[in-house]
Amino acid sequence: MSDSRSVRVIPAALLVTALLGYPFLDRWLQAQTVHAVTDAMIYVLLALGLNIVVGYAGMLDLGYAAFFAIGAYTMGLLNSPVLGSPLYGHVWSFWVVIWIAAAVSAGLGVVIGAPTLRVRGDYLAIITLAFGEIIPVAIRNMGDITIDVAGWKPVERLNLTGGENGVNPVGRPHLPFVNFDTDFIPWYFLILVIGALSLWAMNRMRDSRLGRAWMAIREDETAADCSGVNPVKTKLLAFALGASFSGFAGSFYAAKLQAITPGAFEFNVSIMLLCMVVLGGMGSLKGVILGGMLITLFDRILLSQMTFFIRWVGRSLGIGVLASVDLTLWRWFFFGLGLVIIMLIRPEGLMGRRVRPPAADVDEGEEALALVAAPPRPRAEALPAWLREATDPGRRPSGGPSVLEVRGLTRSFGGLVAVSDVELVIPAGGIIGLIGPNGAGKTTFFNLVTGLLRPDRGEIRLDGASLVGLRPHAIVGRGIARTFQSIRLFQNMSVLDNVLVGEHCRLHASVAGAVFRPPAVMAEEVRARGRAADLLAFVGLDAKAAEMAKNLAYGDQRRLEIARALATEPRLLLLDEPTAGMNPRETDTLTELIGLLRRELGLAVLLIEHHMEVVMGISDRITVLDYGTRIAEGTPAEIRQNAQVIEAYLGKGYEQELVAT
Amino acid sequence: MSAELLALQDVHAYYGNIRALKGVSLTVGRGEIVTLIGGNGAGKTTTLRTVIGLVRALRGTVTFDGRRIDRVATHRIARLGIAQSPEGRRIFAPMTVLENLELGAFARTDREAIPQDLERVLALFPRLRDRLAQKGGTLSGGEQQMLAMGRALMAKPDMLLLDEPSMGLSPILVETIFDIIRNINQLGTTILLVEQNARMALRVAHRGYVIQTGRIVLQDAASALLRSDVVRKAYLGEK
Repeated sequence: MSDSRSVRVIPAALLVTALLGYPFLDRWLQAQTVHAVTDAMIYVLLALGLNIVVGYAGMLDLGYAAFFAIGAYTMGLLNSPVLGSPLYGHVWSFWVVIWIAAAVSAGLGVVIGAPTLRVRGDYLAIITLAFGEIIPVAIRNMGDITIDVAGWKPVERLNLTGGENGVNPVGRPHLPFVNFDTDFIPWYFLILVIGALSLWAMNRMRDSRLGRAWMAIREDETAADCSGVNPVKTKLLAFALGASFSGFAGSFYAAKLQAITPGAFEFNVSIMLLCMVVLGGMGSLKGVILGGMLITLFDRILLSQMTFFIRWVGRSLGIGVLASVDLTLWRWFFFGLGLVIIMLIRPEGLMGRRVRPPAADVDEGEEALALVAAPPRPRAEALPAWLREATDPGRRPSGGPSVLEVRGLTRSFGGLVAVSDVELVIPAGGIIGLIGPNGAGKTTFFNLVTGLLRPDRGEIRLDGASLVGLRPHAIVGRGIARTFQSIRLFQNMSVLDNVLVGEHCRLHASVAGAVFRPPAVMAEEVRARGRAADLLAFVGLDAKAAEMAKNLAYGDQRRLEIARALATEPRLLLLDEPTAGMNPRETDTLTELIGLLRRELGLAVLLIEHHMEVVMGISDRITVLDYGTRIAEGTPAEIRQNAQVIEAYLGKGYEQELVAT
Repeated sequence: MSAELLALQDVHAYYGNIRALKGVSLTVGRGEIVTLIGGNGAGKTTTLRTVIGLVRALRGTVTFDGRRIDRVATHRIARLGIAQSPEGRRIFAPMTVLENLELGAFARTDREAIPQDLERVLALFPRLRDRLAQKGGTLSGGEQQMLAMGRALMAKPDMLLLDEPSMGLSPILVETIFDIIRNINQLGTTILLVEQNARMALRVAHRGYVIQTGRIVLQDAASALLRSDVVRKAYLGEK
């Protein structure tokens, strides 16, 4: 214990000493690098903010420099003696404006975020790119605004931004006994404090309910939505928080530089920031710091030093080409080259998490055993007590004996009616099978009930309350959880985190809660982790809690998806072909698990399945769809003999099959 | 011309970072249907991928029609006469059914014989004929499976590799697909069939291999495997 502590404490102490001592060492050596290092730290702070949007939430933002500009110009507008703005009478203190700048940037983050919520990938990148272009142009043109309505000029020559000339000077911060005017060292310590606080906050956000939600959205937005994460809110928060850090960085930058011009915030700045994040490793705080430092210092110090050196060599040897070389003109060449090389060698970035685990051999003993012996049976004792309580039917609002009532449900795509006037009732604690030929509309039906699709007509009621029009995450909150036909886990998150995302809608920690961690939030997080561990133990995955979801075997992935669904404390579980691709033994175990959930928790289950021994064996009643309409409904025995069902779905050979088994 | 069309000899291969095959040997005779059954992660799909060169054998040899193919590029292997209908029905979703089928014949040089083969494929899969102008992505799961198989057949292969053709299909379609597999074989195509649905696979196949953790643990005539205790317990789900 003390060993592992000292292992962590000693490097940290060394780092703090180095950071504190560096500017004085620099002065003693007369190296004069503090100025450049301070600038580098500004860019690091920007890159860290961008990392929230790109690295955590997975949204490619090509116009992030716009928020940097907004932070800088907020400082310029409120803290410069030159802007003749009628908006204010006096210059505001740096210490106040820096917070206003962060708030303004965050607000604009929401404004730019809102229209991009429905788009992803390439489209999102293009919109942010446009935003990144709009802001500098707007700044250039807001230096001289005159509104002229037929001779009436309510606004005349209003100067908000200084136009092309920018703002010069910008006010400095003032503190007693500290010289911000001619000395760079106070600036260094100020950005060090801002940076350290930002890092502290980001670190805590990442390891919170919010951080998990961001990563879930990044991994699979639909699955996150269907696990109870509100994608709109989550993405807007990423935009707003990411932007607020650039508000700090921008206002600091303006005050330090004493002058800002629109040219400092153009597209290439956005790209450079993105390079820092990608080079260091998306999603890794250490990596982004390293990437930011490397790129800025390479640019600001190394290139010019190298230029001096090569010129000196050129002069000494009398080689004219070398004597007049200017490497700083080649900076984008070196950035590009460096990025290409890093992406080829380490696509995950310098400090990014290695995507591939070390080469492994299948544990033969274990797998051979798994084949001969049955997989672990689900045990009722292993069911967590809190889940029994949470799903206890006695505590739920009761709208009658049925959990889900679907009437007249209709949905068409273009001219094709995928689900037509379907009726389905699931009694409390019932297991209902939904079968039908491929393309009959079963999955569409699931998507309608879970809110991924909106019905054209019809009613969907859970405990008597209508679900039509609710977004998927809200429906999860009401008590419907689902799994997917093609497993949709959060691949690059741990097994434990996958389950924790499922708990998202039952947790309450806010952004402030995530950062400051009051006792209530701490207790909630501890309880959530305990519950996730319980659920993993129940499905037999407790030993694999720390593994990446994508490294699980197929059957384990299916069980993890069910654990994640159970974490939402559902009342109704929708399972879409849960035994597809499973061998008979795994199928048996899963069937038993479903039965157990119903028996012990009173959980209602709607089951799409092609394995007839599963559906027929476990369902109370079965609904058969064909071409979007219900062609039969009844007990398994009735369905098995229904001529229409045999014709459309089961096939004549099915009876022989039954005899054979 | 040898009686063995495909032969794997002591093939070792990695799938990603997992040692998936640890010395697999199997043969498929000309005109046979051979099935490879086994659990998830046993190495079934890796075996198929090794045959078509998507996974490279670290050790061992793969011979097709008497010729080593374990170091041959995938698209060249396809031209030698091996076609695969991949797991998960990888069809070209934005293209029409007809275009998908025509693409299957992309590498062929005997262009004049293609219309005739298209007829033959459509005779096997009458459902596809009704949907020729429809986009592949709008087909139902079963139809996509048929399209994937039909596209593979358009290459006029000597050998067809099928990976889980029954996955996710309704019982009646599973029957249909296995009928079609039998038909294709009777028309002269050799088939290597990988399946979870061991019962159906063993019914349609002549011979079978059981693969466990990257090794062939059992091989016999399909009818004998159907009766074997190990297979009945582990793969047919009998108590």
